[in-house]
Amino acid sequence: MAFANTFYNTIVKRNSVFVSTIFVGAFAFGIGFDMGVTAFYDRWNQGKQWKDIRHKYVEAE
Amino acid sequence: MASINAVKKAVMLSPTVRTLPSGVPVAPFINLAARAPASAHDHGHGHGSSVRSDLPAKFVGGVSRSPVSGLVSKTLVTAPTTTFFQPRTLHTSAATKEPAVPDFSSYRASNTSSNRAVSYFMVGSLGLLSASVAKSSVTEFLTTMAASADVLALAKVEVDLNTIPEGKNVIIKWRGKPVFIRHRTQAEIEEARSADWKTFRDPQSDEERAKKPEWLVMLGVCTHLGCVPIGEAGDYGGWFCPCHGSHYDISGRARKGPAPLNLEVPVHDFNDAEGKLVIG
Amino acid sequence: MLNHWCQVRFASTSSASSNAFQAALQSRATLASLSLFTAGSIAWYTHLYGTLPFIGEVHASGSHLSDEGLHPAAYPWSHKGLFDTFDHASLRRGYQVYREVCAACHSLDRIAWRNLVGVSHTADEARAMAEEVEYEDGPNGEGEMFQRPGKLADYMPRAYPNEEAARAGNAGALPPDLSLIVKARHGGADYIFSLLTGYIDPPAGVEIRDGMNYNPYFPGGAISMARVLFDGLVEYEDGTPATTSQMAKDVVTFLNWAAEPEHDERKKIGIKAVILFSTLTLISLYVKRFKWAPIKTRKIFYNPPVDKHH
Repeated sequence: MAFANTFYNTIVKRNSVFVSTIFVGAFAFGIGFDMGVTAFYDRWNQGKQWKDIRHKYVEAE
Repeated sequence: MASINAVKKAVMLSPTVRTLPSGVPVAPFINLAARAPASAHDHGHGHGSSVRSDLPAKFVGGVSRSPVSGLVSKTLVTAPTTTFFQPRTLHTSAATKEPAVPDFSSYRASNTSSNRAVSYFMVGSLGLLSASVAKSSVTEFLTTMAASADVLALAKVEVDLNTIPEGKNVIIKWRGKPVFIRHRTQAEIEEARSADWKTFRDPQSDEERAKKPEWLVMLGVCTHLGCVPIGEAGDYGGWFCPCHGSHYDISGRARKGPAPLNLEVPVHDFNDAEGKLVIG
Repeated sequence: MLNHWCQVRFASTSSASSNAFQAALQSRATLASLSLFTAGSIAWYTHLYGTLPFIGEVHASGSHLSDEGLHPAAYPWSHKGLFDTFDHASLRRGYQVYREVCAACHSLDRIAWRNLVGVSHTADEARAMAEEVEYEDGPNGEGEMFQRPGKLADYMPRAYPNEEAARAGNAGALPPDLSLIVKARHGGADYIFSLLTGYIDPPAGVEIRDGMNYNPYFPGGAISMARVLFDGLVEYEDGTPATTSQMAKDVVTFLNWAAEPEHDERKKIGIKAVILFSTLTLISLYVKRFKWAPIKTRKIFYNPPVDKHH
């Protein structure tokens, strides 16, 4: 199990690395998760939200 | 070994409690009704000389001593007879060897390193998700302390400058305070710019105070005690505070009287395309 | 032998009485009297309050079904699903219907012009609409109130200055404020839609007072508001045919937004929260098992000291 050992040796072995990976990962996850859910939500509601119909009224101005 | 046994025999004592054939222990010299002596530390809590709580009440029977038959135990309550009785004996079938341990090898992980990685990954993921959720909760909580949308909507005021003629004052309300807007004449601008501002008590040049020389925008609150000064009055042709007699010049700078500072200039911007002033 | 053993025990004294209690519990007389008591209580309650206990919707004789109003059908709203946002084009049309039809009587106190920005109108459009309305402001330097054109921060203008004026203008009936009407009525959006489209002639035997209208969805059947939506009443700017049901659907969607402006964001946060918290639950169950497995499956040995001199 090369991958498992690489994972353990690079991230887990030193606790400082493990903990900082968790915090950095939490930050990155927060952004990525937000983007993912928003992408899904916008796809699900395609054409319904204001940003989908906004162009019709901005051009007219 | 033999010598130790001899010593043991020498100290062997007869048991203090004899057992009757009925199984009732006989201890004729134990005084079950004994009380502890009353002590000085007893503050009447019922300790010491009160009735022992671990003794059953007399009316249910119990153990008593009779001169005829010695120790007698009797109960005055009709209890249902015990249907089954079996004396308990010690378990005598104890194995002489180590008990056989079942084979757990099929449960054992075939690969400890991937097992370890999975465990740490799970623990790490738990921490990661918890940290993410905690961060969101804290930020969401903190945003509840921010100004609400209706307050923010009132935080900016737009003024149409085309309606203000030259040499006129306009007072508008912004966040509950009056704001002076003066459309200054050329003479007033020259007067404000030529003054020797370095000698004033709150030295500030007119260029610092007015973004555009013809427009002066200030909070109309006297820096002394918060009255509203009167426009086009005072010794310096600017504002005069009727409460305690502070004089401000045509740039809103404190020149005379108790006011320690110049009139405050709020954050403002000019929208040249529409001829509007945005305060806030 | 047995007696000897029994004598040294402090016997429980409850067995005899518990037998009697159990016998009473199992007797037919108890069963019959309890049933009678229950039936009597229900009959007494029903007599007193006119309805069966615990079942709010079921009525005993004496009341009338029309007092509750007809139950509205469940309509497939575009924002009904767990992941669905409002249809903002519908919100824009619905605002138009509200402004041109409903606003003649009904206020919308909790919605400001700025709320429309980024929902159904651009900031410029909302500002232009606000400026068409005069608002009282002041006091000015002379201590007098003055009129000024509206700003984004102003709230929707009201049809009547106060409740008394509203009642006086509507034969004593107060047109309710519509800001929270979808939340404030049983059936919500379905009810409002059914009410707007459900005006019919009163059936035989139902007498409606002069100035009142018959609507089977309205509790009691008699409503002061007349039917207002008719085909072609408004002209939609996006070319949607303005049928009665289209206008009713749009305005109800708009009123639903007015009652729940946070709706779209709320559902998005809901998706996130459900995913995050269910994942956290599963992982914490795994970690709990992981931590407890060695504790629960360990075997404890006791090795007695061995005599070395043996």
